[in-house]
Amino acid sequence: MAAAVAGASAAASRGAPTGARGGAPRGASGGAPGGDTESRGGLGGSEDPGGSAWLADRFASGLYGLAELARDAGGLPRALRSEQAVRLLEAACRAPGASNRARGARVGDLLATTALLERALRPLSLDWYEEAGGDGGRSGGRGLAGVDLCHATAGGPAALPGLLAKRFFGTPLLVTEHAVWLRGRYLAYCDHLDRHDHACGSGGPSPAVRSLRAAFHGLLAAEVYAAAALITCADAHARRWQERGGADRARVRVVHPGLGAPFALGAPLSLDAPLGLDAPLGLDAASVADVGEGGADDDGRTLLWTGLIAPAKDLVGLLHAFALVRAAEPAARLRLVGAVAPERGAVAYLERCRALAAGLFPEKGTVSFEMAEGPGPAHPADAYAQGSVAVLSSVAEGFPFSLAEAMFHGRATVSTDVGAVREVIGGTGLVVPPRDPHALAESCVELLRAPERRARLGAAARARAQELFTAERNTAAFHGIYLEIVAHCPVRGASVDTDGQPLPFARPAEAHVPGHWSAAPPSSGRAARFRQWLPGGGPAPRTRPATAAAPAGHVPGWARGAADGGGDAAGAPGRRLAAEALSAPARRPEEDA
Amino acid sequence: MKRPRTTTPGRSAAESGPAPQSVPTPESRPGGAAEGAPAAPREAGSRPRTRAGEAAVGTEPGPATADAQGEVPGQPVRPGQPEPGPEGAAPRVPADPVKALMSRHRELCARAVDPLEIAAGLEERGVTDRTAADCRHRDVFTLAEELYARVPRENAPEADIVAPERSCWARVRSAARSAVPYSLPGAACAATVAALASAGAQAPEVRTGVGACGAAAVAAALWFCARRGRGRGAGGGVSGPLSVGWLIGYALFGDWLLTEVLHGGPDALPTAAPAGHDGAPTALALAFAVPPGAWCAHWFAVRARRALAGSRGLAEFAGRVRPLLAAAVALFLCAPAVLLPAARLVLGERPYAAWGDLAAGGSLAVLLFAARLLAAHGFAGAAVAGLAAACCVEALAVCAVLIARLPGCDAVARPVTAAVTAEGPAAVPVAACTAAALALLVRAVPALARASAHTPSRSGRL
Repeated sequence: MAAAVAGASAAASRGAPTGARGGAPRGASGGAPGGDTESRGGLGGSEDPGGSAWLADRFASGLYGLAELARDAGGLPRALRSEQAVRLLEAACRAPGASNRARGARVGDLLATTALLERALRPLSLDWYEEAGGDGGRSGGRGLAGVDLCHATAGGPAALPGLLAKRFFGTPLLVTEHAVWLRGRYLAYCDHLDRHDHACGSGGPSPAVRSLRAAFHGLLAAEVYAAAALITCADAHARRWQERGGADRARVRVVHPGLGAPFALGAPLSLDAPLGLDAPLGLDAASVADVGEGGADDDGRTLLWTGLIAPAKDLVGLLHAFALVRAAEPAARLRLVGAVAPERGAVAYLERCRALAAGLFPEKGTVSFEMAEGPGPAHPADAYAQGSVAVLSSVAEGFPFSLAEAMFHGRATVSTDVGAVREVIGGTGLVVPPRDPHALAESCVELLRAPERRARLGAAARARAQELFTAERNTAAFHGIYLEIVAHCPVRGASVDTDGQPLPFARPAEAHVPGHWSAAPPSSGRAARFRQWLPGGGPAPRTRPATAAAPAGHVPGWARGAADGGGDAAGAPGRRLAAEALSAPARRPEEDA
Repeated sequence: MKRPRTTTPGRSAAESGPAPQSVPTPESRPGGAAEGAPAAPREAGSRPRTRAGEAAVGTEPGPATADAQGEVPGQPVRPGQPEPGPEGAAPRVPADPVKALMSRHRELCARAVDPLEIAAGLEERGVTDRTAADCRHRDVFTLAEELYARVPRENAPEADIVAPERSCWARVRSAARSAVPYSLPGAACAATVAALASAGAQAPEVRTGVGACGAAAVAAALWFCARRGRGRGAGGGVSGPLSVGWLIGYALFGDWLLTEVLHGGPDALPTAAPAGHDGAPTALALAFAVPPGAWCAHWFAVRARRALAGSRGLAEFAGRVRPLLAAAVALFLCAPAVLLPAARLVLGERPYAAWGDLAAGGSLAVLLFAARLLAAHGFAGAAVAGLAAACCVEALAVCAVLIARLPGCDAVARPVTAAVTAEGPAAVPVAACTAAALALLVRAVPALARASAHTPSRSGRL
């Protein structure tokens, strides 16, 4: 009987197929699946002999054992929810070396954990495993065999298909995390956000569940990092987290997100936004080009805040700081432009801020909230054009998109020293400690009183943004990374002609484009052509899933699965898989020579 | 000297950059607000680490600890709030700058399952590497490790599930509200019986029509009940409803049919109330047994969930659930035991003459209850098998009598004839339903003692 507990660590002692059941393929709805994977958990690895490497190895072999079970016998979800899985998990929790919290797990905690595992591992049950077809799987194979490079744009369960492709087909894996998945999971524990799979209803998950879950997530993240050929992140702050999660320093690259994709201010916001990503105002190449050198046309009295309104933005602190600014500069006004973040408590927070603003500044027009659904600025760029100083008051940030936008528009900025702010601003604006309205106010007043300095800072910011944060730069970086990865990978299924000689250019990359590639709009340059393969036009931070860009009729089965079943586990959407295919000549430079 | 509150982004870069700007007086601007020239794009990965290290090494204890004391994030500093530490006075040096953080974030630290959770939480609450440097740590991660090591874990077991405190009246009201749908079959059945009674003088066709309409209404109500609560849609296909329909139909007309067949009939279709074998009390009692059944199943599910949260191991859980199951079945058994005689009394018929009539209704009710319980916890296959087995036994009994009419096949019907002679026609359903119910209950004991049978479903009710 197959047992499947990856729980915080699965490891596999893989026995022979048992009796009549072994190896009999069964559907997911069939009886107990016959399988040969017995996974046993060993929790709390720190006390285990051999340390983390041993644990990671056990986890990896358990994970791939489950994948083989799903491939050979099916019925993995059922097996993971079965009594035997619960029993194995119990044994693992009671095993010597398990952490105290795991040892204290109640039966309900065990059930909640198996449910979590089942949901997290659902991607294993999709039809990825189809072998390559007669022509090397390059034409229309449904499985992962026809993929040359997997690019997981989020960590965790979203990268599971990439792990499978790496394991079963040797496909190289590239992992991009704009917001580190592991950190997001921890924050979710903190906020009790994902309590819906908790067994016991009231209250947050018990310590035992959270401990098991954290162990599983940590091991999964480490396995993803270990399997990835390269790992990219948006900023050094994320990079630190990735290294903490087990990523090898040498394989982590920082690729700054590129701004420039046409994001509309009024576009419906969804939970797809990865944690920490802010909704930028509309910004396209034209508007970036149109903006003047900055600082010249402002009115010298407007502070501008943009972004998604959420408690982490500390607008209360900003309003208090603005009260101090008003004391020094009675003509100053504050504009808050943006939208309400799709998270719990954000709307209430906005109301609180409005009430506070009304209390602090009775004069009309001093503080204006311009929300996306309300009467916003006529053109997104106007908000920046009319602002004198862009302010960021967050107490926590990922990559501060609103700041980068302000830089593009040539605004001097005052921001709090959180997340990647320092890295983005790089000396082209003022940085103050978070939660310090006095410092924020003093810096704002200082800039308001010094138009020359403001203009100089704005110009510097604009130059820096155009150097670092353009979509072109981002695309070029990924282009190079793709080429680098495939250059290091063995060629699989090379085409040969009738004489057995290698046949370069036999399979153009366009063969992999969903839909009819010849109907694609003409584009110039290699980078532009490359971009059209990418979901949503480029690896910009908010690209849609790969399947969304493809016509419905042309979505391969595995991609459908990724869209439907793969993205549920952690409730953190925004994970995508873009399977990239590169052209044959690019993969064999020696033949071109 | 005013303490520096504005940091220099990338101090080393600013120093190496072209011509750092002249710094205004501290009175007019925060201390070190430096702006670099447009910094050349740097390799961004390594800087914070080294900077944090520099800060940890190179910060004098004075201002650093002053920051730690006065500016520990967590509470927004309100304007107008007096600055900690008088200007110019030597700042107090707390011996343990981490302590303030610890007390401020005690809940986070006590709940955390590992240092990374504390690090994430601290960052989200505005603690940066600068704060960590003030605490003489390299970065937030090492600070989190110290906090994790110093704050005692919150290892108290989660309190057992406490039902939300509700007033007695609210509980009664909610119970009544959830009981309403389960009362529908009883209401429909009572209405049908009443209609049939009032139509006693009408033509048989009218009575048959009324009976059919009533049966349809009761069936719809039952279907509605089955769609509710835990395990809905678990019936899987049509065999379950068909079996239930057959069993109920046999309970109403089976005895009449068997008697007729034994005596060479049947010669005519049954009317709504075959003489001597009135099914109305049985139907009424069964329909009114639905709410108690739903309540018992709900009670069992709730108590099992409570046991789930309280049990430390699977064996303990199984030990707790088995008595619960027995209690639930025993509780439910009271319902037909009371309802069946009561229905006869209400309808003004003579009390049960034979033990078998009462046992037939009771065993059928228990069979249906056991099947529902199993189906609700994910064992729909077993439930349907039990119901179908009972149907087969009943159908076989009737068929055996018919087959016995063939020449030379007398022996086939002999067990049925013997049973009917000894115990009356009710012996057949009693045997069939009792055996099937016992089989299902025997199956249910190990099945429902599994923890995986009590996985919380989307619908918490029933």
